[in-house]
Amino acid sequence: MSEARPVKSLARENSSSKIVNFIRAMGAVVWKDLSAELRSRELISAMLVFALLVILIFNFALDLDPATRREPTITAGVLWVIFVFAGTLGLNRSMAVEKDRGCMDGLLLAPVDRSAIYFGKVLGNLLFMMMVEIIVLPIYSLLYNVSLFNPGLLLVILLGSIGYVAVGTLLAAMAVQARTRDILLPILLFPVVLPVILAAVKASTGFLDGSEMDLIRPWLNLLIVYDIIFSAVAFMVFDYVVEE
Amino acid sequence: MLFSTFLQEGPANTTSFMIAGYAVIFGVMLLYLISLFVRQRNLQKDLEVLQDIQDEQE
Amino acid sequence: MNPKPRLLTVLDIVTIILLLIATYMVFFYAPQEAVMGDVQRVFYFHVAAGWVGMLGFIGAAISGIIYLIKKDRKWDIVGLAAVEIGIVFIFINIVTGSIWARPIWNTWWTWDPRLTTATVMLLIYLAYLMLRQGIEDPDRRARFGAVYAIIGSLSVPLTYFSARIFRTIHPVVIGSGDPTATGSFDMTPMMTQAFMFSLFTFTFIFIDLFWHRIRLGQEADQIEQLRLKTME
Repeated sequence: MSEARPVKSLARENSSSKIVNFIRAMGAVVWKDLSAELRSRELISAMLVFALLVILIFNFALDLDPATRREPTITAGVLWVIFVFAGTLGLNRSMAVEKDRGCMDGLLLAPVDRSAIYFGKVLGNLLFMMMVEIIVLPIYSLLYNVSLFNPGLLLVILLGSIGYVAVGTLLAAMAVQARTRDILLPILLFPVVLPVILAAVKASTGFLDGSEMDLIRPWLNLLIVYDIIFSAVAFMVFDYVVEE
Repeated sequence: MLFSTFLQEGPANTTSFMIAGYAVIFGVMLLYLISLFVRQRNLQKDLEVLQDIQDEQE
Repeated sequence: MNPKPRLLTVLDIVTIILLLIATYMVFFYAPQEAVMGDVQRVFYFHVAAGWVGMLGFIGAAISGIIYLIKKDRKWDIVGLAAVEIGIVFIFINIVTGSIWARPIWNTWWTWDPRLTTATVMLLIYLAYLMLRQGIEDPDRRARFGAVYAIIGSLSVPLTYFSARIFRTIHPVVIGSGDPTATGSFDMTPMMTQAFMFSLFTFTFIFIDLFWHRIRLGQEADQIEQLRLKTME
């Protein structure tokens, strides 16, 4: 199945209109997911409830005294565990919906660059993940009496989420086509996304306990490198994952 | 810990660990070789069965 | 079934001889380490096994890329063979690493960068197999395997770097002291020779097993085609 393009768009194709088409296609995919979600709110509510439950479980599982609970290392660790697991939910659902309703086939028939679909999905997943993060942060802040309004922390969360979602979307697209769909995504994703999580946790800890930038910078660099590498590779390889 | 305890007494007696290590190395390699042989033999049997079926069909 | 190439038989014999020599060197040629004693001898084949594990990984990634470009089923068979061998030897690497750690640092596990990375590699290998197992269509299975092998092999070096940076910024005291200090030892020339020869031998072991495993895969493939034909 090769890219079939209507003749008229071929005739008028130049680089700027290609970019515009690309962004438009991306936007269409994002809007499709967002508006569907705004109507049903299934995904966000599931991710949120899950995140809150995880906070609750951690409270009892790590029965720490109030002082220890507010330590930067604990805070960063717990937050990222929450994001990683809630993120898995989001990724799974986002791709499963496409497959079950046959939307993917419809999307693929459209005369757009496949990678626009990929980036659209990534952006959608990123937005969902960030919505959950934006809600979890103040709640965690409240429950544990620790200030999370830290621009460095927010930057790390953004960068980490980007890396997570860039790889996660690709792997979710594969996992959803397997029989063992739900359990397969974490198995595929976690070992591969480890550098992101490690860097994100260390950088978060650094910002939370006010370390010097020299200590934090290697982790930030690692995050950025990871984001770039995996976005680029996933972009190149996505075609092979969705072709029929 | 090792340094201070054994500095005067020579190398530590870790022979049993060495044996365990090599048991794992050779044992696992051997198991893999056996698995290759077994699978090869099973394929051979499958081939014979299929060839019999083919002969019968003709 | 394809007849076994003579070169492969030659390779088998050469590999076995190399392994015998390497074993002799490791047990008798190399001197005993002054502090750690005999367990240090595990080091030679431990590192060599890790080296084979890495070769498997790289092999899987390269055949993945070639498969995606050429769509020739042969490369899928090659990739699966590489992963399988990689699993076996990374497993050996991890377990011997643990056995070495126990008398030296009084713990069965150290989260040092190399051991951690080896474990992650094993997990990615296993995930590769589970991905393939869950997919029925052979063409899709091959494609996904190739994609995951590429993604996995890209992330492993990053994991290694992360773990290294972790170590330098937060030197952790494990057991008795900094792992790099007490765990390290100076290699005398004879030890270095035994070490290099082990790496050399295990490279041959990799190529030998790889070839055998690829042949096995090809035969399985042919039998599968035959089965489909006769069942029509």
